[in-house]
Amino acid sequence: MKQTKITRRQLLRLSALAGTGAVIAACGAPAATPAPAATEAPAAATEAPAATEAPAAATEAPAATEAPAATAEPTAVSAGGPVADVPRNRTLITMNGVDAVNVTNPWTAGYSHQQGNAMVNEPLFYYAIFGDKEYPWLAESGEYNKDFTELTIKLRKEAAWSDGTPFTAKDVLFTFNGQMTNEKLNYHTEFKDFVKEAKSTDDYTVVVTFSQPAPRFKFEVLSQKYDTGIPMVPEHVLSKQADVNAFQGGIDFPHTGPYTIVNWNVQQKIMDLREDWWAVKAGIAPMPDAKRVVFRANPNVEATAQNVVNNEVDMTLDLRNDAIKSVLAQNPKITTHSGDKPPHGYLDWWPNSLWVNHEIEPFKDVKVRQAISMSINRDQLDEIVYEGAQIATTVPFPLYPGLKAFVESPPVKALEEKYQPRKFDLDGAGALMTEAGFAKNADGLWEKDGKTVPCTINGFESIHSDIVPILVEQLKQAGFDAAVNFGPDAFQNMADGKPGLYMFGHGASLKDPYATFFLFTKKPIGGGAGANNFSRYNNPEFDKIVEQMGPLPADDPKFQELAVQAMEWYWKDVIDIPVIQWLHRIPYNQTYWTNYPTEANPALGFNGAQWHTTAPMVITNLKAVS
Amino acid sequence: MSATITSPAAGAPAVPAPFQQPPRRVLVARYLRRNKSLGVGIAIVIFLTLFTIIGSVTIDTAKKAYPLAVKTKQPPSAQFPLGTDWYGRDLLAAMVRGLWQTAVIGFLAGAAATALGVVLGFISAYYGGAVDKTITGICQVLQPIPPFLIQVIIAGSIDKRSVTIYTMALIVFLLSWMGPTLVIRAQVLSMKERMFVNVAKLSGMTNLEIIFKELLPNLLPFIAASFVSAVFGAIFASFGLSVLGLGPMREPLIGNIIYYSLQQSAFFNGWWWWPLWPMLTLILIFSALTLINIGMDEIANPRVRRTE
Amino acid sequence: MGDALADAHPHLIEVSEVKLAYLARRVLFLLVVIWVASTITFFIPRISPKNPIRERFAELARTGGFSPQDMEKIVAAYNAKFGLDKPVVQQYFDYMGGILRGDLGVSLNKFPKTVWELIMEALPWTIVLIVTTTILSFIIGNIVGAVSAWPKSPSWVRTLSIPFILLQGVHPYLLGLLMIFFIAFRLKLLPLSGAYSVGIQPELSLSFLLDAARHQILPALSLILASVGGWALAMRGMGVTIQGEDYVNFAEHKGLKQNTIFSSYYVRNALLPQVTGLALAFGSIITAGVLVETLYGLPGLGSVLSAAINSNDFMVIYGIVLFIVVGVAVMMLVVDLVYPLLDPRIRYETK
Repeated sequence: MKQTKITRRQLLRLSALAGTGAVIAACGAPAATPAPAATEAPAAATEAPAATEAPAAATEAPAATEAPAATAEPTAVSAGGPVADVPRNRTLITMNGVDAVNVTNPWTAGYSHQQGNAMVNEPLFYYAIFGDKEYPWLAESGEYNKDFTELTIKLRKEAAWSDGTPFTAKDVLFTFNGQMTNEKLNYHTEFKDFVKEAKSTDDYTVVVTFSQPAPRFKFEVLSQKYDTGIPMVPEHVLSKQADVNAFQGGIDFPHTGPYTIVNWNVQQKIMDLREDWWAVKAGIAPMPDAKRVVFRANPNVEATAQNVVNNEVDMTLDLRNDAIKSVLAQNPKITTHSGDKPPHGYLDWWPNSLWVNHEIEPFKDVKVRQAISMSINRDQLDEIVYEGAQIATTVPFPLYPGLKAFVESPPVKALEEKYQPRKFDLDGAGALMTEAGFAKNADGLWEKDGKTVPCTINGFESIHSDIVPILVEQLKQAGFDAAVNFGPDAFQNMADGKPGLYMFGHGASLKDPYATFFLFTKKPIGGGAGANNFSRYNNPEFDKIVEQMGPLPADDPKFQELAVQAMEWYWKDVIDIPVIQWLHRIPYNQTYWTNYPTEANPALGFNGAQWHTTAPMVITNLKAVS
Repeated sequence: MSATITSPAAGAPAVPAPFQQPPRRVLVARYLRRNKSLGVGIAIVIFLTLFTIIGSVTIDTAKKAYPLAVKTKQPPSAQFPLGTDWYGRDLLAAMVRGLWQTAVIGFLAGAAATALGVVLGFISAYYGGAVDKTITGICQVLQPIPPFLIQVIIAGSIDKRSVTIYTMALIVFLLSWMGPTLVIRAQVLSMKERMFVNVAKLSGMTNLEIIFKELLPNLLPFIAASFVSAVFGAIFASFGLSVLGLGPMREPLIGNIIYYSLQQSAFFNGWWWWPLWPMLTLILIFSALTLINIGMDEIANPRVRRTE
Repeated sequence: MGDALADAHPHLIEVSEVKLAYLARRVLFLLVVIWVASTITFFIPRISPKNPIRERFAELARTGGFSPQDMEKIVAAYNAKFGLDKPVVQQYFDYMGGILRGDLGVSLNKFPKTVWELIMEALPWTIVLIVTTTILSFIIGNIVGAVSAWPKSPSWVRTLSIPFILLQGVHPYLLGLLMIFFIAFRLKLLPLSGAYSVGIQPELSLSFLLDAARHQILPALSLILASVGGWALAMRGMGVTIQGEDYVNFAEHKGLKQNTIFSSYYVRNALLPQVTGLALAFGSIITAGVLVETLYGLPGLGSVLSAAINSNDFMVIYGIVLFIVVGVAVMMLVVDLVYPLLDPRIRYETK
């Protein structure tokens, strides 16, 4: 008995020691891991200007993807080495999230331009929405022939990749041919449908031949604006990859953009200015004041709003109406696109509609769709969700100059008078429902053959949690069996066309109504809704009108005439139920930075979203306050 | 304090039959005074119950607890004692309805888990052998799997349109019966060997009779304690699910009210009253159940009493 | 001393022989737990109709950033690539085979990221938070419980445990929320969220570590406050039980100092059973940590998990749940094996 006691004591002591050791180890290890020193230290890639010349480092990156899971590389925790100090007044900090660490290759499935990769990868053209202006970028010019069947692209001779390799027609052709042959790339179909062939006549000239007139190709596909358009990829790196869709790129991925990623983990992505950026040498961009750009994780709105008020952050994602007002009230240095006037932001290109699947009961019946539209009190939406700003809408396009002119043209105004798409009329809706064979049941809900109208609204929590519950209540009050679904299956339900309403935008037209109407002509593929045509609208007459619009430029009178016809179908058939325009209410903190693009100071005419592809055109033009 | 005369301990010696007990409620009240945790816990539960009952009777919660019912974003006032939220819910009505729904989830899931636990615990302990091995084996294997993780996955995977407070209760119940099973099994095992059971067996009682007449009454404190923990666990879990946005979205479940207030940055925008009431209520619920649990423990394990 | 050790030796050997059989049984049990957990987590997300690959593109489409003419084709191409077009049962065996090789697969939503990469990115933050809070609450809880059960403690000390015991019931998420509002938001004493300050770079320097630590205080506090009470309650209960034991009475009669009795007889004996609770406590703190991490925007496993659930990225869900379950099960095993060595009253038996 006695002996055991002694061993036990010793054991106790030993285990206490071991335990302490384990704790120390456990505390020590994680403290060390996020620190860059402990991870791979590519000494090369750190100092922005000098090290970018090291091509050796650039080609070594692929290992990470092929590595078997068990040996997950330390690069995963944090990419990049220690970074030099840059003063706060030369650092632009934006809070809108950090994307998958290490993924810089635009052809990777996990690639996103929204959290800083747009600062790195550049397109041939930029398009500034508020200035309605095209800025040829890696391209010096892009000229169509007369009938829009051929596009000649001249490239800038100064353009170069960050590893020193010149940017040439080889890269452009590689990018185009990739899109044409690789069906995992997101412009594959556009290329397949329109492009017959792309070839270069010399190192700096690319000629694209189209299989049909493609007057919008340069704008829709080759120009970056908002979230669309393709960036160029480096032929000298990607052509050596076995699987270009699985190659992450890494921070050494050669790029033409003004910044280089120097440190990247799940909390933040730090990018430093490349003082040898080709665009400065070419004289098309000023030397940016922002020596460093930081994209920070965006944990929640509360913290984000507080951070921008505290001057810790210069720009954020767009905020809700009340939040932006609180932000402006708490810090006079903060402004917005519209200054301190409502709606404290600008119109995005993403007006939201309630979509329904026209192929299923009871939505097959246009009267039901009409009744739903009539049950929406758009004035109340403006009042409650936007505090009186006129955001509710009756059209499926953003009201940018070209489209506003279209919507306000006399023929469209006459149609509006005829169809009254904004009308809120519960009695009228009731009459339509009765005509459609519905009657109110004991719960006050419209019912036919024992079935209510399935009006669960599928939406997205992070962007719809203000408007959707309000819509649900309006529909409920009108007798529709409404509910909220912010579940992760929302998009799936839309794609599959399940019964219910889908709150979603269009993401189509910017200059003329063609792109949005074209959207409504797309047919479901393998049961799933093709590219956002959740209505599955099927009307050969409508398709024919849109088909005729395709080859015509927007200023052609014939185009206008056809567009009005299409518009009539939109309202008459209630293709979708337009609800709101989309707003971007972005706070711009002017403590350290000025020259944000606003209504009063349009700068180059870009919109201020730092998550859009045009972010570099905004950020490189900011001016430091001191 | 006059009651001390009839205190059972000091009660008449040896002759139980003619002994006149004071009315049961007096005894209960007296016990609660001694067992403070239980007393306070029950008092809070009664208060919350009265709140929802009186509220449900006097307020039109079917309408006012939902959006667009009243003027939005109003701080507490005479007209709206708890204020209103961004969506135009009257928070008083929302709290009344939400508390009720939260209680329904707690009670349903708790009762189901306890009931299953009692049945399985009995079967396991009473029949022993392979049956016992299987049941305890399953419980032990499931125990290290954090139930909340699984609940989150289930709630995240099912069709959102079918999420109601009842499915919530079901999800929570699915992984909460193992605790009660093991507790009841252990108690039955220890009682099985005790004298009174043997006596009953000798006197020719059947198994069922023994279970219902001898074992069950003696197990009541443990069953009650299991039930309270199960209710607690269910409310705890359903709160976790609803703040992640996995609950029935339209309902003013307490967790949902908090969820929506965070969605609309209530703190930042200065609408402090919106998240405040649900937070306070939940703290009350959780504390009350903890107190009751401690009090129950005192009944079940008399030795603990000595700390008082 | 040396003598005693030598005498003890044969006994130790005997213990370790029994231990081997016991160990084998425990390890087998561990494997069963892992198998059950991975099977449950494998099949549940499959009841969802949602396709994580489409969610990936949906995310892009949602912000307007995606104009594929036929997303379905892309989705189908990736489905085939990841074997999601195979029968579920075959996928199950493929997956199990992968686990055996230590391969958790690739994230479907963040492809080409592997699940291991995602776990490794998040793990350090979670370990810091969970290990510190579990250990701190164990220590604080046991001290509070012990002093409050010790009959010689002054009465104010004995009431010390009451607030903790009450808080024990309150969900850590609620405590976190309250602290965000009062401490971070109103008083501005500590940061609202994030793992370290904006503009600071992660490096192995004192200033960075201090800054990161400051960001961990509130999340840690919400977990600690919510779990101290549990330990205190159990410790108090245990202490009360021990008070009645003969050896304590004997020690008192022997005239041992109160302090000696308190530390050697009382605390030690009461503490031992507490150790067994430690493994399960890890499990429950990790679970609570999922919510707390989400609330404070910490980049740990919890945040990765809730993002994965939102996109139904089931490979990541499997990976993380499995990782946590294995962690808890291994902890239980270790405690199980170490415990009898700590407490001489317990012996391994092969029943």
